[in-house]
Amino acid sequence: MNLSELIHEFILALIEPGILVGSIGTVSFINTANSAFSLGLVFTCISLLYFALNADFIAAAQLLVYVGAINVLIVFAVMIIDQSVSSDSEKHGIGYFTALGACSILFLTIVCIFHKLNDFYSSSIHQSEYLKLNLFEQNDVQNIGYQLLNKFLVPFELASLLLLVALVGAINPARDEDEGKDIAENKKKSFVSSTSPRDKSSFF
Amino acid sequence: MNDINSFLSRLNSTINFSTILPEIILIVGLITIVITDLVNKGKNAIFLYKIFLISTLVSMGILFYQLISVIAFEDLYTNNIFNNLFRFFILICSFISVLLSVDYVLCSKISLAEFPLFKISAGLGGMILSCATNLITIYVSLEFLALSSCFLSGYTKRDIRSNEASMKFLLMSGASSSSLLYGFSLLYGFSDGQVQLDNIIDKISFSQYLPIICISAAFILAGTAFKLSLFPFHQWTPDVYEGSPTRVVAFFSVTSKVAALSLFTRLFRLIFPYLSNEWHIVVELLAISSMILGNLIAVTQRSFKRMLAYSSISQIGYVMIGILAADLENGYASMLTYTFIYIFMNLGTFARITPFSLRTGTNNIRDYAGLYMKDPVLTFSLVLCLLSLGGIPPLSGFFGKHYLFWHGWKAGLYISVTVALVTSVISIYYYLKIIKLMLTKTTNLVDTLKTYEKQKSLVSSVISTKLKSSVEMAMILCALASTLSGLFMDPIIKITRNTFF
Repeated sequence: MNLSELIHEFILALIEPGILVGSIGTVSFINTANSAFSLGLVFTCISLLYFALNADFIAAAQLLVYVGAINVLIVFAVMIIDQSVSSDSEKHGIGYFTALGACSILFLTIVCIFHKLNDFYSSSIHQSEYLKLNLFEQNDVQNIGYQLLNKFLVPFELASLLLLVALVGAINPARDEDEGKDIAENKKKSFVSSTSPRDKSSFF
Repeated sequence: MNDINSFLSRLNSTINFSTILPEIILIVGLITIVITDLVNKGKNAIFLYKIFLISTLVSMGILFYQLISVIAFEDLYTNNIFNNLFRFFILICSFISVLLSVDYVLCSKISLAEFPLFKISAGLGGMILSCATNLITIYVSLEFLALSSCFLSGYTKRDIRSNEASMKFLLMSGASSSSLLYGFSLLYGFSDGQVQLDNIIDKISFSQYLPIICISAAFILAGTAFKLSLFPFHQWTPDVYEGSPTRVVAFFSVTSKVAALSLFTRLFRLIFPYLSNEWHIVVELLAISSMILGNLIAVTQRSFKRMLAYSSISQIGYVMIGILAADLENGYASMLTYTFIYIFMNLGTFARITPFSLRTGTNNIRDYAGLYMKDPVLTFSLVLCLLSLGGIPPLSGFFGKHYLFWHGWKAGLYISVTVALVTSVISIYYYLKIIKLMLTKTTNLVDTLKTYEKQKSLVSSVISTKLKSSVEMAMILCALASTLSGLFMDPIIKITRNTFF
């Protein structure tokens, strides 16, 4: 093993325990805030993994979106709920063992598939074809930007409009209405007819 | 500056902006609505509706002009007649449903600027969905349509039924679009990274990957059948239709179904032509069960909106026959004709329920008894639209169904057409039940109708005459279209004929 492979293995050896510890912490901490923060650790380590795999755009997107937005939102929601630490004893019922069995079968399946793929892809023919693709000198971000503005312009702009509409639609049910904001005649009419058909008519 | 110039020139060479000009006008209308509402600080909300109407009309005009000249447009979407017709249908739906909702302005205590915003965005999503041939554009526009419809259905936030309806709609549309996305991801992966629909069918080798393509077809079917509310995926429809405000139900009962029809047809025609035997059988089964289930359950309904929800499930079952019966000489003519007529029939029926429920505050069918004496115009136009939905001869619903079933019989779908005929007869029962209730004079009037006159005078003093007439204009337009379209059936069929691709 030469130096670059050694460094690569070392970095991976740092990141993978981080992911493992973080994910075990997410499911087994009793305090919800602790599990939210360990979820943040998992997302950060996944982003570092993307860096190690030379996918710089995805790594940056993972940091910005998952850690910076989604995890912050989760921590925020957990803090708002302000649940006291629930200390009921965890009984391992039948559901626990069923889920344990199903998950371990899935895990073994994935491990077997990965081993087979590893044998398949590390044959010499594939290595030479892979090296021919010359992936290491491309600029990911520039490529993505070029494609977004040329080939995928319509979905790109539509997604920005979608964000606007989603923002308006999320605020619309959540905000506080003051009743007298409407036209002045409506206020008088609402005094005159505040019976139930009137209320229903605002629905229909 | 040089970069911007070269970018613009490259942009102009790859994208011909005149093809998406109708959508651009809708986007301009959307931004104008937002800015106008900000400037006006919530007053003068009628002006927003006028902006909406104007932008929809201008869009329709440009689309008309484009319908004459078919421009091919390489990457993002193609403009054949099929796509343009669907865009036109969606613009008609938006236009008429906005006419229905103008009186919402003065009668509700909720802020109103977002209502035309969501309607324009849903119409925009539907229009782009009708011409998208790119997996990513399909998904983004589908989510746009679904999200805007969800916000519309939860618009009256003080009513708990509306909250329940939008919650159900959001969750179920999220689940179904995730299954759609999984089907897309299988296609993307096995066609070596292609996103364009044409390139996918070029690169995928059907013989080698047949099981994967079947799985992908199943997931895509599950995803699109939700929007169409076909049989096992129809459970959201009655609850959402009953819970949402009536104008909103009118809008998305036609718009999302029309957009989902165009998506369904395009996906299954382009990607899975070699599997046509398999998915024909499955879709036939779904259509038969939708027709049977929709019509049988609609018989037992007591609420008008719920009954219309089940009847729209069965109408989509009929339209599925039109999709299955497409062949080389006729294209999708039967499906397109029936969709066109269905838009007017459905919107017309909702146009009559809306003022009735506004005036009496109820949606029960029983409360429609004896309406003939109180409001003959409403009764007569409702009778016309209901008979057209049922398929009674001189009205256009009959001609649409007749052409659909004849086309289906010619294509060999004997079982489906037989089931459709039987269930049509069942549907006539529940439409006629309402008509009989309205037209017979009852000796003891129901309480709601006793207060009908009182409410009418109260409400009409609030609504100015100009606004009241917009709903009536929509009613008359739909009544005329659902009556007379049968007479103009031949030109309509000729236009929709060469749509096979």
